[in-house]
Amino acid sequence: MRIFGFLRRSLALLAVPLMAALLSGCGGPGPQFTILSGSENDILEPLVQEFCKSRNATCTMRYQGSLDIALALKAGDPGTDAVWPAASIWIDMFDTTRRVKMVKSIVRMPVILGVRRSKAQELGWIGAKVTAKDILGAVEGGKLKFLMTSATQSNSGAAAYLAMLAAGIGKPDLIEAGDLDKPEVLATARGLLKGVERSAGSSGWLADLYRDGERSGAHYQAIWNYEAVIKETNDKLIADNHEPLYAIYPADGVAVADSPLGFVDRGRGKEVESFFTDLQAFLLNGDTQGKIAKTGRRVEIGRATPLAADPKTNLDPSRPVTVIRPPEPAVIQKALLIYQEALRRPSLTALCLDVSGSMQGPGETQLLDAMRFLLTPARTREVLVQWTKSDEILVLPFSDHILWTARATGDENEQTGLLARALELRAGGGTDFYTCAAQALALMKPRLADGQHLPAIVIMTDGKSQGYMSTFESAWRADGHRVPVFGVTFGSEVDRGQLDNLAKLTGGRVFDGSKSLTDAFRAVRGYN
Amino acid sequence: MAISRRAFGIGLVAASAAATGGYVYLREHPEIAGRFGEAKRLFGFAGGEKEGFLANARVKNTLERRFGLVIDGRRAGSVEMVRERALLDQKPQFLWPSSSVLVEVARSSGVKISRDQVIFNSPIVLYSWDRIADGLVKGGIAQPAGGPRYTVDLSKLLKAIIAGENWSAIGVADLFGRARVVCTDPNKSNSGFMFAGLAASLLSGDVVMPETLSRIDGDVATVFRRMGFKPPSSGKLFDDYVAGGAGAQPLIVGYENQLVEWVLQDAERWKRLEANAPAKPVILYPQPTVFSAHPLISVERQADDLIEALTSESLLEMAWEDHGFRGPLGTIGKARNALLQSRLLERIDAVLPMPDAPVMLALLDRLAA
Repeated sequence: MRIFGFLRRSLALLAVPLMAALLSGCGGPGPQFTILSGSENDILEPLVQEFCKSRNATCTMRYQGSLDIALALKAGDPGTDAVWPAASIWIDMFDTTRRVKMVKSIVRMPVILGVRRSKAQELGWIGAKVTAKDILGAVEGGKLKFLMTSATQSNSGAAAYLAMLAAGIGKPDLIEAGDLDKPEVLATARGLLKGVERSAGSSGWLADLYRDGERSGAHYQAIWNYEAVIKETNDKLIADNHEPLYAIYPADGVAVADSPLGFVDRGRGKEVESFFTDLQAFLLNGDTQGKIAKTGRRVEIGRATPLAADPKTNLDPSRPVTVIRPPEPAVIQKALLIYQEALRRPSLTALCLDVSGSMQGPGETQLLDAMRFLLTPARTREVLVQWTKSDEILVLPFSDHILWTARATGDENEQTGLLARALELRAGGGTDFYTCAAQALALMKPRLADGQHLPAIVIMTDGKSQGYMSTFESAWRADGHRVPVFGVTFGSEVDRGQLDNLAKLTGGRVFDGSKSLTDAFRAVRGYN
Repeated sequence: MAISRRAFGIGLVAASAAATGGYVYLREHPEIAGRFGEAKRLFGFAGGEKEGFLANARVKNTLERRFGLVIDGRRAGSVEMVRERALLDQKPQFLWPSSSVLVEVARSSGVKISRDQVIFNSPIVLYSWDRIADGLVKGGIAQPAGGPRYTVDLSKLLKAIIAGENWSAIGVADLFGRARVVCTDPNKSNSGFMFAGLAASLLSGDVVMPETLSRIDGDVATVFRRMGFKPPSSGKLFDDYVAGGAGAQPLIVGYENQLVEWVLQDAERWKRLEANAPAKPVILYPQPTVFSAHPLISVERQADDLIEALTSESLLEMAWEDHGFRGPLGTIGKARNALLQSRLLERIDAVLPMPDAPVMLALLDRLAA
């Protein structure tokens, strides 16, 4: 009996690791692996996770705009094992130390204009060949407004903008350096950008905003986005019984995003590198590419059959498109600078700054640092979110009441004046951001009438507000739902609930400023 | 059987001498060393077109098992790897660019070279699509060379681009806008670098010299300006070509071996494509062309072993069979692949030498301006 007891104990001891090995799959645990990716890839994340699961690896996809990914590469180590921006130009231009290797395009996505079907009908665009000139005509005639991401912060916005510029030049196959000095080209581009109704730093978020508009009653008319994102948006719109978008492929040229996935060599060893090559091979194998093609993405010739054309929405991933060649990097940089400084719709931004008692100490220091960034042109210019003379900035520091209000344009001297005043702020008292937002709206009202500016209220706060949401909501409704509210949260114990409600009501977004207020404020600028 | 202390002592000395001698011998013979002990890791930069070769399991296996070498080869443009401080400051143990001229350029950048030797050769070719190539034949720019392969009068094509001709004017009716050929950034990558040299020589009527450069550099600059964005590496450009299709990339510059490699990567895909695709990739061989030699530069003595390994018969045959690289003299290997035989020219006779390094550096400065 003692022998049996011994055997039983031994078998039990052996069984534990054996079971663990069986439960965890055939091999040992895979690596922890992170990918810095554009938001348009979120629909592909389940495929990535399927592969990671098969290798017992823990994979995290972090979503950021193309410029954020580019800046992370420029700084050296982006802190992730792979990057997956929308287009390789962001890697080629910013990865100066060549840390990214084994770059391969996973899909191709033209950036097109999705127009509410009834609007497309009204414009006579159903079944018609539409050029960028036709789009310009509709915008200038006041017949069309659209959503488009910021050209300096997001790839789809940059692509749409470059296509418009190329159309303005009249030879849409390529933009060359001298073209950007021609006044008529700039006039055309400015005319087209007047059609921007809302902007954003992320193409995925912008598509959600379009759908939210159906629920909230904003009913946007059109959106520039990736062909595949327009398809995803349509799937959801149709499921909710809303009108779908009709795809317009400008006949004279579109820009195509090539969705490159590249490995970031951070010296984590052979295992991590071969995990990456296997992941990439998995995403490019015929089976996976077939699944990817079903999402409306274009895949390499011969890999899988593209999604069938849909006459109702005009979406057709097998349709050949005239592709605009990306210009040279110096031309792109100049084009983006001109966008930010001369061509985009000017912004009208009210900054409600929480200087209540709870902000004393590190909160106050970080707020003032963020103001130093936001109102120092040399720093904002580095990341292409600088203000210009056409922009208007309102500053409203608040506690349980508004301490003072100041107004300035983006002129450099006026920014300096505004900053000097902001730097004198000291924390104390309670918190009421509803009153601040309502006051901001009242101050903005006279400038909203002519429709020249893209308005936004930005509330930076670390806590719960006193007062009532109705203080702001009734004024906002009375004003015609025009101004979105963005929140920047700060501190570890912030309650986002109230800000989320304001953002949801107005089509805004709440950003987490707990890691870096400066980064959060920069991100907000991409939406305004 | 007891061993005397003296015999034991002598045995110990002899064993130690044998071990030392063995160690020295093995160090000098990497082929044997690979079978013992820990593999030697080498870090360096290689042109994108060799990334597939370096990632090939058969190649990695042979390098590690037979030669005791594990290669950490990072992709970098051939020109930038021999010039850019950001790359050279990372202290690569080897550089593997794609042109012999770049060995001189590396030297002039202050790179201390232990040894250099040409490993592969690959002609510079143009990649296009069958229907576009047929158009170019009609337009008198290209000529059929038996089967789906072509030769191209590059000089005539360049002149049409410089004149701003539309695609339709040179026989390609269904492409919009002006004719262009796209290569990599000549200041970063070798295929663009070599194409710049070839274009300059063709436009000047002979291998371009310092005194003839100023006559034609403006025209070369026009050809390059018309390209718009030029990717930093040839591997990336080729990927864009196959992924983008005829509308996005009608005509690009590349190495002959790139198509071979792409076809071999997935033979089924190639068969599907040959059967169904609306446009099929084709090679146009410029007459004359330039050969891209792929010299391995060992910066540290330790990397000399890599030269020995790569020039071994087995690795050279793998390079041809799996990746389409011709040998050091431009000759093809033993293997024949039925999928590609009708698309490659076995012999390439019209070959121009590259201009000298100082001329090329002056041309690069002109193109960067």
